[in-house]
Parts: sequence; C-alpha cells; structure tokens
Amino acid sequence: MSVDSTVQDPKQDTATAEDAKWKPKILAFTCNWCTYAGADLAGLNRMKYPADVRLLRVPCSGRVNPQFVLHAFLKGCDGVLVCGCHPGDCHYATGNYFTRRRMLLYRRFLEYFGIEPERFMVKWISGSEAGKFRDTVIEASEAVNKLGPNYKYREEGR
Amino acid sequence: MASTQDIQSAIRARAGKLLQKEVISCFIGWEAGRFEGQSSPLVVRSAADAQKLIYNDYCVQLLAKYLLTENCSEGKVGVAVRGCESRGINLALKDGQLQRENLHLVGIACQGVKDFSTKEELKKCQECTHRNPIIYDDLIGSEVTDGPRVEDTFAEVIELEALSHDERYEYWSAVFTRCIRCKACRDVCPGCTCNECFTDQAAMGWQGKQSSLAENANYGITRMFHSGERCIECGECERVCPARLPLMQINRKVLKDAYDIFGEYVVGIDDCTPNPLDTYLLEDVEEFM
Repeated sequence: MSVDSTVQDPKQDTATAEDAKWKPKILAFTCNWCTYAGADLAGLNRMKYPADVRLLRVPCSGRVNPQFVLHAFLKGCDGVLVCGCHPGDCHYATGNYFTRRRMLLYRRFLEYFGIEPERFMVKWISGSEAGKFRDTVIEASEAVNKLGPNYKYREEGR
Repeated sequence: MASTQDIQSAIRARAGKLLQKEVISCFIGWEAGRFEGQSSPLVVRSAADAQKLIYNDYCVQLLAKYLLTENCSEGKVGVAVRGCESRGINLALKDGQLQRENLHLVGIACQGVKDFSTKEELKKCQECTHRNPIIYDDLIGSEVTDGPRVEDTFAEVIELEALSHDERYEYWSAVFTRCIRCKACRDVCPGCTCNECFTDQAAMGWQGKQSSLAENANYGITRMFHSGERCIECGECERVCPARLPLMQINRKVLKDAYDIFGEYVVGIDDCTPNPLDTYLLEDVEEFM
C-alpha cells in the first residue's frame, strides 16, 4: 500500500476515501423453510438485486434472538433484515408468532436508542415469493444507501 | 394506618412465632445497618434472632430477589412483602422460580420509603402504583389508599421519543459511556432469574471485556430487553446504579410500547397470566407483511 505524503490530515482523508468506497453491509437472517428457499428461487430465476446483502440461514425466524440484531450493528453491519415464513406457515407451527411480538417491540426499542428504523427490517417472505425477496433486498439496500454507513454504537468507532 | 414502629414490632412477633412453631425455617426481613438510616436484608433462622429485624422509613431494599438468591435451606420461607415485593414474587411464581406452598408472606401496606440523606421519598416510591401487597398470608395493619404521587410515569419516555434519532443517540451514548458495567442492576432485578446471565457466558462471547461505548450499550440494551416487558417497575436498578443512570426510562419504554401494542396489563398482578412475549395471538398487530 502506498502512502500519499501530500495529504494534510491523513485520518480525515482515509475516512472520506472509505466513505466513497463504502457499500452497504446488510445482514439478512433467513428462515430455512421459507425465505432461504425464496432467495434460492430468486437466484434460479436470475433475478437481479444488489449484492449488499449477506444471508445467514437460521432454522426459524424464532431462532433470531434480539441480541443477534444488536450484535450485527455493533460489529459493523449497516442494516439488518429478519425474514421468515408468513404467520400461519411456520414449519414449527408457532415460531414466527413469537418473532412477530418480539420484533414489534425490539424495532421500537432500537429506534429509542437512535438507530434508524429503516436499518432494521422484518419481512415475511415465503418460498415462492422470489420477487418479494428481490424487492425487499432492493428496498433495504436503497434505504441504507440513503442513510449512509452506521457508526452508532459501532465497536471500532469512527 | 399503622406506624412503622408498630409494623416493626408486629414483624418481630410474627417472625418469632412462625420460627418457634417451625412453620417456616427462615424469615427474610431487614436489619439495621452500621449507621443511622442504613438497613440491609437479613435472613433470620431462629426465634431469638427475630429481635434483630427492623422496619422503618429507610428499608429501601426489595426482598423478592433474596428469595431467589439466598440459600434458604429446606422448608418454608417467611418474607415481609410490600406492594413491590408481592409483584416480584408473583413474577417469580409465574416463571416457575418459586413455589407458593414454600412461602409464608407477611404483608405490609407501604407508605413509601425515604432516602436518608435527603429525607425525601425515593423516586421509585413516588411512582409506585401498588402500595398494598397483592398476595400475602397475613397482613400487618390495614391497607393504604395512596396512589402514585407522579401523574404520568411515561412523561420522560414521551419527551425522549420526541427527539430526532441523532439527538437520542447522543443522549443514550452519554448515558452508556458513564456505565461501569458493575451489573448491580442485574443483581437486584427480580425479573433477572437466569441461572447463567448472557454477560457471564464468557465462552459464548456475548459480552466483551473492553470498556467502550459499544460494550456498555450491548450490556445495557440487551439486559433491559431481557427484563423488558416483565419489569415490575420496582425501580431497584435505578436506585442501586452507582453511576446514577436513568434506567427506568429504558424499562418504561418497553412497557409503554407493550401497552400500546398488546393492551394494558400489570406485571405481577397474579401468578398465571402469561407475559406478552411468552404468548401470542393470531390477530396480533401486523407490520411485517
């Protein structure tokens, strides 16, 4: 790596350079039985969506502990998506009903601490809704792009 | 209304009698501290020791948690209960942490306790909605009729909600920066009943050891969400916090949202109604379609 000696404030310059290169990092918790299959279908259909999203497969959206979401933000994610089966379609019968209650509260809770609600989305996407998966990722990516990188409560700081 | 002096002698008499008749194996109350106006929880195991029990305006500690943490030997345990203790005990009964048949509850109608240095009623008692014990086996004196002395306990939360996201981040990062992570709020919380707290699961790595805003926020936000909608509003976390953090503003946020979404409820009003996050309804609010 070369160092430009003409730069006045190297720290500030690195920050702007990093911001210019910045691409959103969105972590998506996807339920094995619905959303993961939906994402797979989107791939099979050669649907185009931003490559900002990283899928993390979980057995059920009920497996997503609220602290996973907070940890994602602390470790440097700019957005988090939690996706699962539609209510009534849960493979484990009731998992997503609990997720729904938990996430209703947790979204408001994180917003209270200053994390913009657009950064944290919850969506029900079934195995056949490849288009909805694509639209959700596009929506999340656009929202996070608009907000810019998340430095709130982030471990490395700025 | 019984004076605190009357209540003190009644507690001593009843605890002594129960211990002598071996109805209970120990009794949890308060004892005098080293200095005037100080008190600390005390577990009494013999009728003679019952004379050590005290009750005055400065018995600030919540005893409900001591039922869970003290090793109270075999058999029934007696405990002095005020409104806040009875709600904490109901919560523990509901969570399966205690068995009702193993408890003998001596009820006290509470007028609120005071801070010895200022002689003023504690903030948690000014906001108290249940001064009379909800469950008890026998009551000392008669019930009181006082309601909360604060009009709207959610006022601070509503004020904060009106700020922008960045302003709120500034506010809370200033709060969490002051946190020293002593975990006193967890240790006194009657809702914190996990055998192993997530912060102690070192191998899992949930809680880092750094002293930083991120780690403090991780502790504060996660712990508060764990007790969250089960908060009995005893205000003990705020009272014991050595950094004087406004922790009830966090608890009340969860409660306020839970009331808005799932309808109003009172935590610890009985020992059977499930907490909102332990149950669900098919027709719950839908935001994620």
